[in-house]
Order: sequence, then C-alpha cells, then structure tokens
Amino acid sequence: MSNSNPNNGGLEALHRLKSTEPPLFLAPSPDLSQAARLASKYVFSLLQPHCPKSPFDNLLVDEFDAEQIWQRIDIQSQPLVSNLRRELNKFEKNPELVSKGFDRFKDEKKTQEREIEEQYDEMDGYYDDDGDKMDGLDDEEEMDGLDEGEDDDDDEEEEEEEEEEKGRIAGIEDRFLKVKELEEFLEDGEARGYGLQKKKGNRKVDKKKKSEGSDEEDEEEGEDDEDDAEDEDEDEDEELGDLGFSDDDDEGLDKLGNARLMLWTRLVRGDKAKIVVDCCYFGIIMIEEKGFKSKSKPIKESEDSDFGNDEGSGSMHEEILSTHEREHMRHQSDIEQMEKVNLEPKTWTMQGEVTAAKRPKNSALEVDLDFEHNIRPAPVITEEVTATLEEIIQKRILEGRFDDVQKPATLPSKAPREYKEMDENKSKKGLAEVYEEEYVQKTDPASAPLTFSDEQKEASMLFKTLCLKLDALSHFHFAPKPVIEDMSIQANVPALALEEIAPVAISDAAILAPEEIFAGKGDIKEEAELTQEERKRRRANKKRKFKAETAKRIANKAQTTIWAKLRIIVKSTAYMSSINKKNPLTTEAAASLLPPDNMPAKTPITAAVPQLTVPGNLVLP
Amino acid sequence: MEPQTSTLMEVEAANRVNLPTKPNFEPLKAHEMSEGRVQSRKVSVPPHRYTPLKKAWMDIYTPIFEQMKIDIRMNLKARKVELKTRADTPDISNLQKCADFVHAFMLGFDVIDAIALLRMDELYVESFEIKDVKTLRGEHLSRAIGRLSGKGGKTKFAIENSTKTRIVIADTKIHILGSFANLKIARDSLCSLILGSPAGKVYSKLRAVTARLAERF
Repeated sequence: MSNSNPNNGGLEALHRLKSTEPPLFLAPSPDLSQAARLASKYVFSLLQPHCPKSPFDNLLVDEFDAEQIWQRIDIQSQPLVSNLRRELNKFEKNPELVSKGFDRFKDEKKTQEREIEEQYDEMDGYYDDDGDKMDGLDDEEEMDGLDEGEDDDDDEEEEEEEEEEKGRIAGIEDRFLKVKELEEFLEDGEARGYGLQKKKGNRKVDKKKKSEGSDEEDEEEGEDDEDDAEDEDEDEDEELGDLGFSDDDDEGLDKLGNARLMLWTRLVRGDKAKIVVDCCYFGIIMIEEKGFKSKSKPIKESEDSDFGNDEGSGSMHEEILSTHEREHMRHQSDIEQMEKVNLEPKTWTMQGEVTAAKRPKNSALEVDLDFEHNIRPAPVITEEVTATLEEIIQKRILEGRFDDVQKPATLPSKAPREYKEMDENKSKKGLAEVYEEEYVQKTDPASAPLTFSDEQKEASMLFKTLCLKLDALSHFHFAPKPVIEDMSIQANVPALALEEIAPVAISDAAILAPEEIFAGKGDIKEEAELTQEERKRRRANKKRKFKAETAKRIANKAQTTIWAKLRIIVKSTAYMSSINKKNPLTTEAAASLLPPDNMPAKTPITAAVPQLTVPGNLVLP
Repeated sequence: MEPQTSTLMEVEAANRVNLPTKPNFEPLKAHEMSEGRVQSRKVSVPPHRYTPLKKAWMDIYTPIFEQMKIDIRMNLKARKVELKTRADTPDISNLQKCADFVHAFMLGFDVIDAIALLRMDELYVESFEIKDVKTLRGEHLSRAIGRLSGKGGKTKFAIENSTKTRIVIADTKIHILGSFANLKIARDSLCSLILGSPAGKVYSKLRAVTARLAERF
C-alpha cells in the first residue's frame, strides 16, 4: 500500500511533468518541484529491486536538498550501470539469451517505456533550467537528481529500444547474414580507413548530438574530459562488462545496452536519428559513468581500486596519445602493410621473364603491355607518299641519273699483253728482214734496233721541227738547231752573213771556231817573233821530216817496181809453160812460187773478199 | 803391282806419242763431192714472170753469184734459168737454196721475200689449190678468192703480217712462204676463209694464235 500510493502518485507526477510545457519549468513553482520529487522517488523505487547493493530502500525526498537527493540516486545508479554493462557484454557474447530476455521483459517494459518517456521529457525541461540561475539548491539538487534519474531513465529507454531493435535483428538474421559479422566487417573497414580519427569524429558527432538534445554545460565539460580519456569501442564494451550486472533480470538490459552501443558505433550513419541520438546519449552516459567511475573509483568501488589498474585493465589504448604518436601509429600500420606485400610473391607483371605457363591464362590481354620496338615501323603509304615518289622518279628520268649497279673494276691479274694491231697493209719490210729482226731480238735484245714504225718516225721528225721553230720564235728561250751530223762544208764566214730568222745581235764572230781554224799546241809564235836559234831549230825539224818522207817514198817505189818485175817474170814463165803443155802451171802455182805476201800492198792483187751487196756506190778505202 | 801399272802407263804414253795427229778434214766442196763434176739446176720461167724477171734480174743474180757462188744464167731460148756450181761453191746446199729462191720468185713472191730463203734454212714454200680444200665452182669460187684476198688485199696482208709469212694467191693456186709453224697457221686461216668463215672470225683466231706464239718467245 505504501508502495502503490506513492507509485500512483509518482506516475501521476511523471505524467504531469511530461505534460507541462518546458517554459513553465523556467519559473520556480512548488507544485512542479513536488511532482518532481515524487517522480524521482517512484523511479527510485522501481529501480530499487534491480540494484543489489543499494543501501537505500526508499528515496526520501521531503526534507532533503536537491543535492542530497541527487547523491542518493547516484549511489543507487552507479552499481546499476555497471551491472547493465556486464549484462550487455553477456548479451553480446550470447545473443540467444537476448531473445529469451526479450520475451520475458517485453510486456513489462512496454508499459514502463511510456512512463520513462514522460519522465524523460520532463527532465528535458529541467535541463533547460541550467542556463538560468534558479532559486535555491533544491532545484539544482532536483535537477541533479533528475539528471541522475533521467540518465537512468534514458538507460532504460535505450535498453528497451535496444531490445526492440534486437528483436528486429533476430528476424533479419539467418544462417547467411549475421549482423555481427557485418558489423565486424564494417568495423575493420572503418578502422583501416579512419584509424583513430574515427573515434574523434564520433566524439564530435556525439558532441553535436548532445548539443541538439541538451544544453548541458556540465555534460559538455564532462564529455571533453571523457573525450580525452576515451579511446576505442572495445574498451567501452569492456567497461560495460566491467560495470557488472549481477541480476539475471538485468541481463537482458545489459545485453540490450551493449547491443545498443554496438549499433551506435557501427551504424554511425544511422537509420533512425533517434536511435543514433539515443545511442549517443547512452554512449555519453557510459562515458560519463566511466569517467566518473574512474575518478570515484577509489571511493566507491572496491573491485577496481587503482586508477592505474583501471588503465591497465583497460589496456594501453586508454592512455592519451599525442598527434605525433597517432601519426606514428598510422605510419607503422602502413609500413606493416607494405612489408607484408613485399614478402608475398610478386604479381607476374612485376617478375622479370615470364613465360606463358607462369602467368594465368589470357592475362597478357588484360595488361597494357608496352615495350620498345627496335624496328622502324613500316611506312604508311598515302597518296602524298606516292606523289612524292613519282616526282622523284620523273626528275631522275629527266636528269638521266639512274642508280644502276656498276660493275666493279676487275683488277688486272696479268700485265696487259702487247696488243698488236692487225696491220692490213702490205708490209714494207721483206720477209728476210722480218726474220732477221726476230732473230736479233732473240739473241741480243739490247742491240736490236728500235722497232719504230715509219709513221712514228715521220711524226717524231715533224714534231721536232715544229718545236724548233716555235722555240726560235720565242727569243729569250732560244735553243740552237739540233746538230744532225751530215757532211757539209762550212765556210768561214762571219755569222751575220748567214741566214738567221731573227737577227738579235750583230756579231762579227766567225762561224768556225779558232780551234777549227788552227789546232796547235804550245807556244805559238809567228815568223817575226822567232829568235835565231828557234828559226834554226825549225828548219832542222823540217829537213828531218822531209828526209824521212822521201826515204819512205823511194822505198815504196822500189818495192812496187820489184813486184812489178817479179810479176812480169812470173807471167812470162807461165806463158812459157803454157806453150810447153807438158807441165801446165796454173796461175795459182806460179803465185805460190812467189814469196808470201807479207808486205802491205796498196793495190790488192787478188783479194777474193766476198762482199755483200751493199746499196749505193760507196767504195770503202 | 805399282811398278806394273806404271810401266803400262808409260807404254801408253809412248804409244800416244808415236801415233800421228788426227787428220782435220775440211768439208767437201761441191766439186770434190761430185768428183769434179758440175751440178746444175734448171728453173722454168712462166710467161707472166718473164717481165718481172727481166726487171729484177740483177737483184737475183748478185746474191746468187756473189754470195752463194753459184753460176746463174738465163736460157732465153728454153725460157729457163740455169744454175751451176762453181769450183769455189762452199756448200752443195747452196745450189738447192738458189734453186728454191728462183723457184719462189717464179711462183710470184717478191725478191726481198724470196731472199729470205737464201738466208734462212728453215723456210719453206707450200702450195695448194682451192679445190683441195673445198670443191667450188663458178661464182662460189670467185667469191672464195675474193674472201681470201679481202678488199684491197687487206685480209691477205693481215694474215701475212700476223703470221710472218708471205702469201701468193694466183687464181685457184695458193702459195705460202714462211717457217713451218707460221705456215701452218696461215694455211689454217686460209682454209677457214675458203670454207666460208667471215674475215672477222679469222682475225680473232689469228690474234689469239699469234699472241700465244709471241708469248712463247
């Protein structure tokens, strides 16, 4: 009875709070405050069975300040939150429990949901009061308490909604599609893509969402602190788990909470804004709780005593990372990725020589191959090309310049034979002469007369005369007449008298040289110059010579006379013998009687010298 | 047995000394060979050579009489040239040479060409007829003769010059004077001309052959 009345009163109060307009909260009114107290008491009592460790049974609201009320609510709610977290973890690990819990609590929670919503709206109004300074701390306390209560309500709300959501998910899921796997995949992708930034972004989103929903400065401040402190999603889950939920009844709630959190982190883009908002709030709450928990750990909870432990349990990701460290972490991940790629075997395009067997079928078609062509590509024959070619051809034909293949000049292997022209004229030489020449050439090539043809001789003579005449005409290079040794009498006449083509200078020099005129040696003296002795000497010489000559002449004469006489004798004897026919004596015999012919006879007797028929009438002496 | 050999040698030496010197016989003169009888030759003079003989008599007479020491006279009644050895004819072959020389002149060769017979031993005169090579009649014969001599005698002269021979074409008779090898070449070319080959062909062959001949020496 005691319960039911306040319950009813509480419900009514909640309804009232919900129904009142938000601006009405601005003005202080005792009715509203009373209603708020009742509502908070009601909620407290509702939650009381779920909290194992709460020291209070009731929330005494009448005489206490807002702060005192708030503190009591806080005492109750803190273990509750941890329990919820634990339950959520359980649900996360064992999703099948969700459905069980869901069925159980479905009906109950439905009814409570609306109440909570009403309370939630009322709390909104009180949130607005923060900005304006309200009278008394009661309101603040109330607000704090309300805040606490609201937070709790929000928890419940979110948990319920989470439950609903879970039910829906259970309907979608089957053996092919697992929402959890989808979430994991999405998480991986996002983690890779965003890295740690995502957390920050989410936090910012949280900020925004929070600002939309509420204008709590406290919460903002708190969130800033929490932003620094918060790191990763898994940590939150762990924290949720750490909070701990002992009650089985709370399992479902906890698990719902967990699921709700997961949904928030994975489905940031969000299907329903409200869910997102609620997720945000829930996250915020979690953050708050965590933050506060971390701060108030040594005071309230005995399990996790140290700040450090908390940190240690939360893993290193809890520590505050600087920008540089975050960059470094990113780089490290990149490096790891690249190293991993390098360790793997390369694709076939990156390998050196790849045969068809080593690469997949038709893979060369897909790859854009590029390699150097060492051959000049064949020229494309266009009309212009043919026109140019024809022009060249026509020009060449006109010029007559054809690039014909020319025979290489054969090297003469042998010296060219003396080519004798076929002489078709009657030969001027007799056959005998021909053979004579041949014989002479064979025996003694040097002495052979030069085989100058008559024509050549004639030509050479003509040319010589011509040259002579030309030389004579050009005065200063005068060359004398060639001396042809013919017998000719030269009169000792001054040079000028003889015919000259160009009388250059007048000279009275005689043609004959002094030696030609007189050839003598020694000291030549004239008759007048001689001394007496010289005259005598000359006369003596002359006489001697004369005497010798005369003696010689006489001797010759004598001999000839002797020979003549002898001849006569012989002839006579021959005649005589001829008369006497017994012993005919030939002329030869008679000649043989004569002494041998040792004397050099001037007139040969019988010189039977065979003479060649020599042309001309030259008689050799 | 040294004393024995030495005595043998002495004996031989003694024998050698005792033997008279070998006789040194000079070649027999024409007279001595024939035991004093005179050898003679007679060369008949064809009528168409009568006038040329008269013109060239001294050129013929001088070398024969002077250098060959053969008596030569013209028997006008019998129309023959008579040659007779003298006592001082050095060699009996002189008479034959002179006879050949005169005979060559009678065939139609020039004196200067025929003189070569006197001077060289190895020269011969070959005569043949066109009908010996190929039987030609009438125009063919005329044409053959024309082919042989060529225009103005140029073919004949060409052969003469290239082969160092002398050729006389007397109607159907052909006489060639020259050394044995050259004679053969001339004869071949003339025969080919008679048989019908053109002059150019004959020339080319001649050229090749004579070049070869010239190279040999």
